[in-house]
Amino acid sequence: MTSDITGLAGLVPVIVFLVVALGIAVYSRQRAAKASQGGFVGEYFLGNRSLGAFVLAMTTIATYGSVSSFVGGPGQAWQTGFGWVYMAGVQVTTLFLLYGIMGKKMALVSRKLGAVTVVDVIRARYQSNALANAAAIIIVVFFATTMIAQFVGGAKLFAAVTGYSYVVGLALFGLAVVAFTTLGGFRGVAITDALCGIAMLVGIVVLAGGVLSAGGGYENIMDTIAANHPEMLEPLDAGGMPVGLYFTQWLLVGVFTFCLPQSVVRTMGFKDTKAMRNAMVLGTVIIGFMMIGVTALGTLSAGVLTDDLATYGGSVDNIIPLVIVKTLPPWLAGIAIVGPIAASISTVSSLLIAASSAIIKDIWLNYRARKAHVQESVPSDGVCGQADKVRDDRLVRRVSQAMTLFIGLAVFALSITPPDLIWKINMFAFGGLETAFCWVLVCGLFWKRATKAGALLSMIGGTAAYCIAMAVGFKLFGLHQITIGIPSRLLPNRLAKRNLSWLIWRDTRSITTRARLSSRRSCSGGRSAWRIPRRNRSRMPTISPIMR
Amino acid sequence: MRYAEKMRQANREAKATVIALVLTVLVWIALGFGLAGSGIEVFHTPLWIIGGTVGTWLFAIVVAVFLSKRVIADVDLDDEGDGHDE
Repeated sequence: MTSDITGLAGLVPVIVFLVVALGIAVYSRQRAAKASQGGFVGEYFLGNRSLGAFVLAMTTIATYGSVSSFVGGPGQAWQTGFGWVYMAGVQVTTLFLLYGIMGKKMALVSRKLGAVTVVDVIRARYQSNALANAAAIIIVVFFATTMIAQFVGGAKLFAAVTGYSYVVGLALFGLAVVAFTTLGGFRGVAITDALCGIAMLVGIVVLAGGVLSAGGGYENIMDTIAANHPEMLEPLDAGGMPVGLYFTQWLLVGVFTFCLPQSVVRTMGFKDTKAMRNAMVLGTVIIGFMMIGVTALGTLSAGVLTDDLATYGGSVDNIIPLVIVKTLPPWLAGIAIVGPIAASISTVSSLLIAASSAIIKDIWLNYRARKAHVQESVPSDGVCGQADKVRDDRLVRRVSQAMTLFIGLAVFALSITPPDLIWKINMFAFGGLETAFCWVLVCGLFWKRATKAGALLSMIGGTAAYCIAMAVGFKLFGLHQITIGIPSRLLPNRLAKRNLSWLIWRDTRSITTRARLSSRRSCSGGRSAWRIPRRNRSRMPTISPIMR
Repeated sequence: MRYAEKMRQANREAKATVIALVLTVLVWIALGFGLAGSGIEVFHTPLWIIGGTVGTWLFAIVVAVFLSKRVIADVDLDDEGDGHDE
């Protein structure tokens, strides 16, 4: 790209923002650690369930709103027109769906189980380690690809707007986000997410000012679009935006987003139902403004960038960087790019802490608890001394932070030589996660007869079906592969219930016994997923206790 | 409220949310596709664009307020304070 803002103007606002974010994350974590009553794991990976309404709403939105919401989506809207904005409007449902469907149930169930991760809940509900491990692996794989997409998107934008190299941008905010996530934990992530959300809103407002003034006012821009591309004012874009695309986008970025584990974990973290109720209203207001606003800005850019796509480098991802450079003076451009970069780092930080929790809490600590149980004979209560407990807590703390750092640096390294098409990578992961978790969570929480084998088959089978269909480009009726993934997951659930019930019975029994035994252990590094509330032990479940 | 009652209440709230989603979809279709052929323009903007985006958004806010104030009940999320769930 030819024109960019060079010098400090492009750099200073981002650096100031990152320093403030880092400071807030570390400060809030330190303060919380001093006041903390519970173990390290619950604090580091879930912030001890202390989110209030504003932070809850903002962290949900900032996690959900990614760099592709700011770059890929609006770029597409520049090409497609207002149909894309109309489609993006589906995202106004995401917050009330998440809190309304999952919110209270996840809050109740996770407290009852002492669950810290979504996988904890799945493990306890289906009494299955295999399912839990599969879920944890799916989370790590898809989160890693999403994080790379976010890093790549953010760094490309930074490079395009400021003129500094891709690697400089990546190093600047990539290392900052890895640092504040490692140090700040979930609580730090949630609070910096709130800061990022504000930065995203500011970025949108600044860019709106730039686009509107460069285009000669709103009505003038609309007239330009009507003259150049009248089809952009039609919902179907003269065939460019078919009804099938609306339908699948509804499912992909609207209806099924409430199953995304990175969103669901937030419903385990709020402090009371009042916080959730207020976050529902506040969040719906903000996400509508953000998603409709930023996508509409993409379309309105067609009143400023009036040539065809080849002129702008042949990729819709170039549109927003060009608009920023072209319509804003350097200092304002520097502020405007903080918005998309905040969108990128707020998604990365949330996925990073969740991926780390999947490895530490769902795989390592769980494996350790089981192994300890196998090695020792049945322990009696209080066998572990206080010193052991403190030492153990310190070990878990070090390993957890090291793992967060390791995943962050690995993703950072992979992002240096970036893959193309961030938008599609992100959509691939989005659909894969929805396919993997939707029915497992919904049936698990709302359908008492959903079985472990059904969940296992549908999580693995559905994800496989989705990935294979994506890889070979197979589509049903021209619809996105999410329409294959989601229904294919429901089928085995029903089949398995009849045919595999013996398997479930056998495995449930063995796990129940182990759960009972290991729930007596008191030094397994924080609250274990195996822990079943004392008063329920006498009648351990034939179905899971959390469903009563 | 006992744990089992809270869970049933959560089920009711989830159902109400699904109904709210269906209504939002209908409003989205009506204000967007429904108005697309009308030819009416406001501020040089076809009416369906305003209806389908801002209109749907405003409706979703109404839905969120309704769910928040009328449907979702405040409960104590911790099971400890309110006796055994027997």
